[in-house]
Amino acid sequence: MVGFIIRRLLWTIPVLLLVILMTFLMMRQIEGNPFRRSERAVSPAVQRNLERKFNLDEPWYVQYALYVKGVATGDLGPSLVLRNQSVNDIVKEHFPKSLELGFLAMLFAIVFGIPLGVIAALRPNTVFDYGAMFFANVGFAVPSFLIATLLIYFFALQWGDIFGLPTSGWSTPQSKILPVIALGLGPMAYFARLVRGTMLETLQQDYVRTARAKGLSSRRILFVHVLKNSLTPAVTAAGPLLGFLITGSFIIEFIFAIPGIGKYYITAVSARDYSVVMGLTVLLSVIVVLANMVVDILYGVLDPRTREART
Amino acid sequence: MKRFRVRELGLGVGFAAIVVSLAFVAAGCGGSDDGGGGGGDNTITVNWGTEPPSLDPGLATDTTSSNILLNIMDPLVKLGDDLEPVPYLAESWQESDGGKTVTFQLRNDGRWTNGDPVTANDFEYSWKRTISPELAADYAYQFFGIVGAEEYNSCESNCDALRDKVAVKALDAQTLQVKLTTPQPWFVQQVAHHSFLAVNQKAVEQFGDKWTEAKNIVTNGPFKLASWQHDSRIDLTKNPDWRNADEVSLQRVNGRMISDGVTGVQSFEAGEVDVTAGLPPEEIPRLKDTPEYQRYDALGTYYYGVNVKNVPDVNQRRAMALAIDRQTIIDNIAQGDQEPATGFTPAGMPGFDQINPDSPWLPASGDMDQAKQLMSQVSSPKKSITLWYNEDPAHKQIAIAVQSMWKELGIDVTLKAQEFAQFLEFLGPPPNNAVDAYRLGWIGDYVDAMNFLELWTCESGNNNTNFCDKSYDQLVAQARNTPDNAKRYELYGQLEQKLFGEDGPVPLIPIYWYTYTQLEKESIQETYNLNLLDQVDLTKVEVAG
Amino acid sequence: MVVSPQEQRMRAPDPAHAGDFLGTGAGTPIQQSSLWRDAKRRYLRNKAAVVAASIFLIILAYCIIVPIISPYDPDEVNFDERFLPPSLEHPFGTDGFGRDLFTRVALGGRISIAIGFAATLAILVIGLTYGSISGFVGGWLDNAMMRFLDALYGLPYLPFAIITLAIVGTVNFWTMVIALSIASWFTAARIVRGQIITLKQNDYVRAATAVGARWFRILGRHLVPNTLGVLIIAIFLELPGVILGEAFLSFIGLGINPPDASWGSMAQEGRSVYRTHPILILIPSLAIATLVLSANFIADGLRDALDPRTKET
Repeated sequence: MVGFIIRRLLWTIPVLLLVILMTFLMMRQIEGNPFRRSERAVSPAVQRNLERKFNLDEPWYVQYALYVKGVATGDLGPSLVLRNQSVNDIVKEHFPKSLELGFLAMLFAIVFGIPLGVIAALRPNTVFDYGAMFFANVGFAVPSFLIATLLIYFFALQWGDIFGLPTSGWSTPQSKILPVIALGLGPMAYFARLVRGTMLETLQQDYVRTARAKGLSSRRILFVHVLKNSLTPAVTAAGPLLGFLITGSFIIEFIFAIPGIGKYYITAVSARDYSVVMGLTVLLSVIVVLANMVVDILYGVLDPRTREART
Repeated sequence: MKRFRVRELGLGVGFAAIVVSLAFVAAGCGGSDDGGGGGGDNTITVNWGTEPPSLDPGLATDTTSSNILLNIMDPLVKLGDDLEPVPYLAESWQESDGGKTVTFQLRNDGRWTNGDPVTANDFEYSWKRTISPELAADYAYQFFGIVGAEEYNSCESNCDALRDKVAVKALDAQTLQVKLTTPQPWFVQQVAHHSFLAVNQKAVEQFGDKWTEAKNIVTNGPFKLASWQHDSRIDLTKNPDWRNADEVSLQRVNGRMISDGVTGVQSFEAGEVDVTAGLPPEEIPRLKDTPEYQRYDALGTYYYGVNVKNVPDVNQRRAMALAIDRQTIIDNIAQGDQEPATGFTPAGMPGFDQINPDSPWLPASGDMDQAKQLMSQVSSPKKSITLWYNEDPAHKQIAIAVQSMWKELGIDVTLKAQEFAQFLEFLGPPPNNAVDAYRLGWIGDYVDAMNFLELWTCESGNNNTNFCDKSYDQLVAQARNTPDNAKRYELYGQLEQKLFGEDGPVPLIPIYWYTYTQLEKESIQETYNLNLLDQVDLTKVEVAG
Repeated sequence: MVVSPQEQRMRAPDPAHAGDFLGTGAGTPIQQSSLWRDAKRRYLRNKAAVVAASIFLIILAYCIIVPIISPYDPDEVNFDERFLPPSLEHPFGTDGFGRDLFTRVALGGRISIAIGFAATLAILVIGLTYGSISGFVGGWLDNAMMRFLDALYGLPYLPFAIITLAIVGTVNFWTMVIALSIASWFTAARIVRGQIITLKQNDYVRAATAVGARWFRILGRHLVPNTLGVLIIAIFLELPGVILGEAFLSFIGLGINPPDASWGSMAQEGRSVYRTHPILILIPSLAIATLVLSANFIADGLRDALDPRTKET
């Protein structure tokens, strides 16, 4: 078991190096001068100075090596656009906010998704079932920019006096409600479907019937078995859901003016801020890779068969 | 099964209800600290739009940085209502040596927030710092009119020697002397630009890159940088120690950074901000009739450039210019009350009356008949044209309209959108061969038409049309050496004629002159005003009522 | 290894148990009913799936037919007819350029759906190729390919789509397809590989090998048909993600070049005027939602239909 964990840990290093290399090469392929901020052309002398300052006049493999060295020492480099900030600064300031948004959205999804799934499973193929599933699915299917826009329009503008919710920002507790809902509706649909599915399956299992025949309390059966059966798929979904939250947050952050990394990522790509784009992509990749690793390990714990299959 | 129903439903719903009520309790309780709402305590909230890339005068390049800097620092001169320079930290200046030397006398009551007096040495240090190759300042080129500046900036090694040759000298604590390469009558106006602001040497040396953070920064202007949460807020408070502090009415300016135009408007309507710019053009018809809508002239031109190598026939270019109905575009798409352009230099520029050519090829509502007629005279017309623009809903819409207008001339237009940085790269100069026409805009750096007309010289880094006329270049050089305003404006007029007159080659098609549109709360409308360069003087803003 | 929710839902029907439901356990006469016919029957019993499939077909029909029969030129700019409300002549009204919205939504649908299917197919083809090679060959190649896949898994899909579009410069149908598929095929590869490995160890495949059947026969006769069901489900599962992905990219400004439009780019344009003309953002967004929902329900229905282990209540 320990060996398994260590092996998985070790594998993440070459994986990360590969991710960095791919991001690096891809970024370099993009044409466009990171120092040209507006329609005004940059004078050649200034261009030379800027390139020298950011080591862009070195051959690509030197830049790559410098960058990897930086990453190893925890220095993600300076921002090419935000001249007084380094990528580390940007990450430190913005990443916690995205994290908070994602975490709260996940919480929302679980808290509201599970009851919905329960309701649907208890009355399968009836109005309740279709209704609950439809409601859950709407959250997933309707593009989040529409949901966000509508939420702001109704709850912050039209009915602003009743609810007291601001149209944007991320500071007070009120300002966090709408963005969390907008981002959480998608995962909520996922959890609702998941709970519904596993509950239905569980309820039909032979051993549930047996246990009931023996007289065990229905509630205990339900909780114990449904939970256990939902655990594995929920854990395995953690990775892709994380991906969803990350990508979904770009739009939400932009619309709600939340100073997270999603909002800045888009700007950075347009602005050709190489170091920021690479730093953020590497960061996101690290998270996904680590999450996958944790999930793998959990999976290995939960289901010993997979341990052998993996090695 | 029945036993499940009530219990489980109940549990599920109950749980959800608890969380929801908690959420609303939290909503009810927490106080709002987002500021907002003018009128109280002389505080206003402004939506600055995007995060300023830097608040270092040497490194700042965008409008937000510029605006904030000009309010937290003390420039030597400011631009008056007629855009002539007025004394500010410099109480007077003299030109000598045929206009090639400018000497500023500074007031002696300028103070840094750390207590130090502001001296001419600060300016010498700061200007040389901005010109230095190590800082790699984008706006270093603004200083190239000063003797030795360009050499210092281009230096590769042994730069300190060149640094001393830059002709900016503090003759004493209150006197700053500058030597220029040629007489530049607009130089003093240029000094109003934020890149000519002084920085505090101690702060810069002590904090390095981080000297602009709110806790480190040392400023000398009417407002102080109270806080800067990146990509979120910038708050300014009144500097009580400023030399004219008793003239400043505002106590505090809170700043949000909402870059999405739609969200900005929503914020304004919800009362969370008192000023917001960057209005989406499609919202303007709805907002135009509201009392909060404000429109200002701007020193900028929106134009379509034409690659004269790919579209060589001058009659075709003229036809393309004539076919564009500018007024319709302005009324229906841009919707910002812009001015149809009849030349390149925008209205509001000093000397406009002498400069503007009122080009026969740029009628406000277009002239499709004449356009078609001209087009028929073209011997081998270019029937298929690719029009390039940078991704943006507004540019897209204008391109679509122009596409259909040129279609009537029998030209098949393919639209190509590119992402901004790539787009700029694509345009060169020289522009990529695939570029037949492209969209660009130009905003003035300083208030003189030279800023606009020098774009079309052969070597200009901003001339993406392949247009090159030596006689045009000569005229530009001549204008540079003409200190007398009236004579110079006349030369500018000739230059415009050279481009857009009866015999003009029309290498580019100006469409409209920019305006700035904002929403401003009525309580500050009267005193919150933008000048032609999109700058607001916060010392003049008062909250009425 | 991470098993995504899609993988979970796509567990292939185990051929060994195929007979149970049909009553072909020991002792009962063998009926000549194919898996597909039964699947179709079971699918049609699922009300939601049938409704979803009908809606999907209606949308497809709308997108294909309307532009052909429409009297309007979808690209013609007519400023006198801007923002007209819905009427008999213009069932959805007109947009900011005076163009008929009903026609444009149909055209946008063509592009969105085409991108959806193209990207989905690209994902599946790449995944299928990668996964079958890895699964079939096995051994160290399989190991190496899976490790590499692990690395790729770490690439967040939206950022890479953005970077890809930035690299190619302009956004048209094909670049969008590439961008959307470039970072999304990993799951498909994993699934296919898993499938192949499971099936390889299947009794009758082993039997076939023992008997001496050639590898392409095994592949063609046994492995691929069994994977087919899973793949069809996979298409309808990937489709929503791709369509929403395209909508997102359009929303942040990386949409199809005009005058072509996809539902995503139309929604983005519509958002600026949503206060006065909400129909311009509502219709394209709801179209996306409807398509996504029906694809989801179809996928569910297909899975239930093809997997005999799911008993009906």
